[in-house]
Amino acid sequence: MRRPLVALFSAAALLITTTLSACGSSPDKPSTPGQPDAVDVGVIAIVDVAPIYLGKQQGFFSKRNINLNLTTAQGGAAIVPGVVSGQYQFGFSNTLSLLVATEKGVPVKAVCNGNTSTGKDGEDFGGLFVKAGSPITSPKDLVGKTVATNTLKNIVELSVRASVKKAGGDPAGVKFTELPFPDMLPALQAGRVDGVFVVEPFQAAAVAAGAKKIASSFVDLAGNLTISMYFTSKQLATSNPDLVARFTEAMKESLAYAESHPDDVRTVLGTYTQISAEVRAKLTLPKFPADIDKASVQSVGDQAQSLGLLTKAPDLNLLP
Amino acid sequence: MNRTALSLLGLATFAAIGEVAPRIGLVPAAYAPPTSRIAVALADEAATGRFWLALRDTVLTWALGLAIAVVAGVVIGVLLGAVPVLWAVSSSTVEFLRPIPSVALIPLVVVLYGSTIRSTVVLVVYAAFWQVLLQVLHGVADVDPVARDTARVYGLGRWARVRYLVWPTALPYVVTGVRLAASVALILAVTGELVVGSPGLGKEIEVARQSAAVPLVYALVTVCGLLGVLANVATRAVERRVLAWHAAVRTEVGT
Repeated sequence: MRRPLVALFSAAALLITTTLSACGSSPDKPSTPGQPDAVDVGVIAIVDVAPIYLGKQQGFFSKRNINLNLTTAQGGAAIVPGVVSGQYQFGFSNTLSLLVATEKGVPVKAVCNGNTSTGKDGEDFGGLFVKAGSPITSPKDLVGKTVATNTLKNIVELSVRASVKKAGGDPAGVKFTELPFPDMLPALQAGRVDGVFVVEPFQAAAVAAGAKKIASSFVDLAGNLTISMYFTSKQLATSNPDLVARFTEAMKESLAYAESHPDDVRTVLGTYTQISAEVRAKLTLPKFPADIDKASVQSVGDQAQSLGLLTKAPDLNLLP
Repeated sequence: MNRTALSLLGLATFAAIGEVAPRIGLVPAAYAPPTSRIAVALADEAATGRFWLALRDTVLTWALGLAIAVVAGVVIGVLLGAVPVLWAVSSSTVEFLRPIPSVALIPLVVVLYGSTIRSTVVLVVYAAFWQVLLQVLHGVADVDPVARDTARVYGLGRWARVRYLVWPTALPYVVTGVRLAASVALILAVTGELVVGSPGLGKEIEVARQSAAVPLVYALVTVCGLLGVLANVATRAVERRVLAWHAAVRTEVGT
């Protein structure tokens, strides 16, 4: 009877040591006087984050004594915990994810805009597509049909629902299924889904494949929609406001530069993505205003609440 | 025809099928590009520094993870195998931890270390360690009881018994463990890069995928396959060297 007891004891001991070592490893970067601050930012290797790569290239961060290190993660799901745990000082995430995180008590604080829809119907950097020759001509025809979204219950699903509602259909009648952007067009062509919402460079691929654009859903969700933002942890915002201010300034300069130099944006895309030169030349770029459009964030929050993605009114304390 | 010629013929046939199938419309060329386009994408990519950095990172992650797993597996394996009370205490824990798939630890390492090589090395070590450990345990258990008693009677100390009795018996098992661990380690290295986003070929595959660069995705996958072949050839070469003295009694013949 002794063996199981000993075994149990050793298992418990192992578990405790593992947990302790895990807690002890939370990285904290003390800044050395005279040295530039090492700042890690969690981003996603997509078109939307071009300004920060451009800003780094242009020296907007180094001239503010920031040694910027960009790490590409697999999406907001990895970036938000990374920022909160202090692995990254800043991160990039979409507006609705940040609103949901805030409602759940995750201590994050937005610092500036990330990217914005162009606001022009039919000329945005993302769109709702159906197969060539599909009988569906309006988003309201999607009621009872299946639409692919990159993440369920997030900003893309909310946008598609907004398009359906605007066209006079019942958004509750649309079925959504989760597919990564690269898998959407094949699924649409094979008839596994009836509609897809894709962003660049997959929009360019969808157009090339003859798919029909039936809505610019980001535009339908809100005018000048702030799709994503750069954010930090509340902890860093209070413990090192100077660093946060310098990063924000550099980021705003980067956004303004990207907005006025679209050709540089297309060039820098070639450094951190593998989007081919032909596609880079013709894809639709998002807008990069420096400031967050508060009205659009409010609108995203309200619509998310009406669909139950948020349980209360959006907490705009998230915004700077 | 000899074996090598036949293998090359097989590969050439495979490449030819890959070339023809999309061209005659058997599979959509947009998502399954012909072999020649994949080759062109690979050649273009090989001309960039980015590719070689990614290759280096993957090899580094693999080698580092494998080295840690082998050293830890051998040391802990010999220790647990040689001291019965330690094994009695730890066997249930080993049996509990061993079946946990390494990829199930991805959320944990992401929170602990983010998208770093360290995260992926942890996954690699976790997966490869058990392969080595179990082989070492079997090897240590395989010591001939007569030889063991003889060694005791002749008064060999604990260390001498490990050195002259346990280790030579266990070595073929250790080498098998290393060979198994080497391929598992490569799988986990690429998986980690792909899912966690740590630098390496796996991450480059994901970036190419997110960039709608389909031929490049296949090109990078091909490189991962070649790495696997190389890893296997290398471990088999090491195996033949280390076990040269043992080859006569081995039933398995290296190819």
